[in-house]
Amino acid sequence: MRYAATRMLLLVLAVTALAWGQSATAREAETIDELVAMFDDSKCAECHAEIYQEWKSSWHAQAVTSSLKGMRNFIAVGLAKEWKTKLNKAEVLKCLDCHAPAVNFASEKLATEIGGLIVTAFDKKDSAEGKKARKELARLNVGCLSCHNIKATTVARGLNGPAKQGVIYGPGGADAGDAHPTMETVDMTRSAFCMQCHGRYNAPDGETIQCNTLSGSYQNAYISRGGSKSCQDCHMKKGHLFPGGHDLETVREGLGFNVEITPYQHLPGKIKGVKDPKKWVPSAVVTAFIENKTGHRVPDG
Amino acid sequence: MVLEVTAKDAEGKELYKSDKTWFEIGVDLDRDMRYGAWQIKEIIDLTLPPLETQRETYLIHFDTDTEEVELEVKLWYYISGGKGDVVYSVVRKLEFDN
Repeated sequence: MRYAATRMLLLVLAVTALAWGQSATAREAETIDELVAMFDDSKCAECHAEIYQEWKSSWHAQAVTSSLKGMRNFIAVGLAKEWKTKLNKAEVLKCLDCHAPAVNFASEKLATEIGGLIVTAFDKKDSAEGKKARKELARLNVGCLSCHNIKATTVARGLNGPAKQGVIYGPGGADAGDAHPTMETVDMTRSAFCMQCHGRYNAPDGETIQCNTLSGSYQNAYISRGGSKSCQDCHMKKGHLFPGGHDLETVREGLGFNVEITPYQHLPGKIKGVKDPKKWVPSAVVTAFIENKTGHRVPDG
Repeated sequence: MVLEVTAKDAEGKELYKSDKTWFEIGVDLDRDMRYGAWQIKEIIDLTLPPLETQRETYLIHFDTDTEEVELEVKLWYYISGGKGDVVYSVVRKLEFDN
């Protein structure tokens, strides 16, 4: 009886695993519908509604549509005009490996089409074609499974191997029952995890893409000066909303500001250009102290 | 990020304005300034480093008939392009006997 129950549980887990993210799958999506279905975040909301809503309001949820200009320029200017290189999956992934990691599981044809949609959505933004392209692209983002599966093991790939198909990785590793298999990983609590994308990106062919330099100043100017906080310590204070430079409260928390103002009368005859050189000159010394309390340079793209 | 110091007289006329900007300049391998993430290979760092406090001092002289000045010191943070938010603002009124 007990053996039968165990077999049943394993069967349920296996079926669940197939239904969830397919990070280790050999299958490649041929359409955006297929790709979205492979990494369907809406299932997460069924049990993690609050976290899902936080994420939905985050910049991660709009990681493609909020960065259309830069990605369009890479494709239409960088690839087409400067490098004279054909748009293909490897080139598209220089943007989308971070902005929409699921595209790693798109076919060559689909990934290239997505690159085309990026150009259309930006260049023809007011047309029906452009709006349609944007709507499709809005379905791609840094979703739940981007971090909790696709990228979950990447920073220690040699040790952890590739993410396992259907497994949800998390720092707690809590038993999710029948919902999905879960694997505890400390990786996601470390700055190195965020630094996969929030810093200089090294493409497989060696090209460097520098959207921002956060990881550089974190490692070389914060940690080296005795800083000990992780990215998550500050940027997960509001959960999966991941506030940063777009959030005034977070910016204010990261900066100290103090101003000292000393008025005085400057000696007559010492300042050129005043109306009456025989009179005292109203003057002031203003001193502002600006403190960077964050773990990286400010500002940082 | 921009520090902006402004002084106005009692009628709101601007008597003084100065600012300081913290930013980074992306350059390609020819050291030409670039905006594209694929073009930028190095940066020239004019930002505020972490765990550091910087001091900016301004010595301001007004004309000899100035009786009242409103000084405003603002710290702006620009997330992208022209969209800026005032992070902090300090306003102080100064009076001078002539």
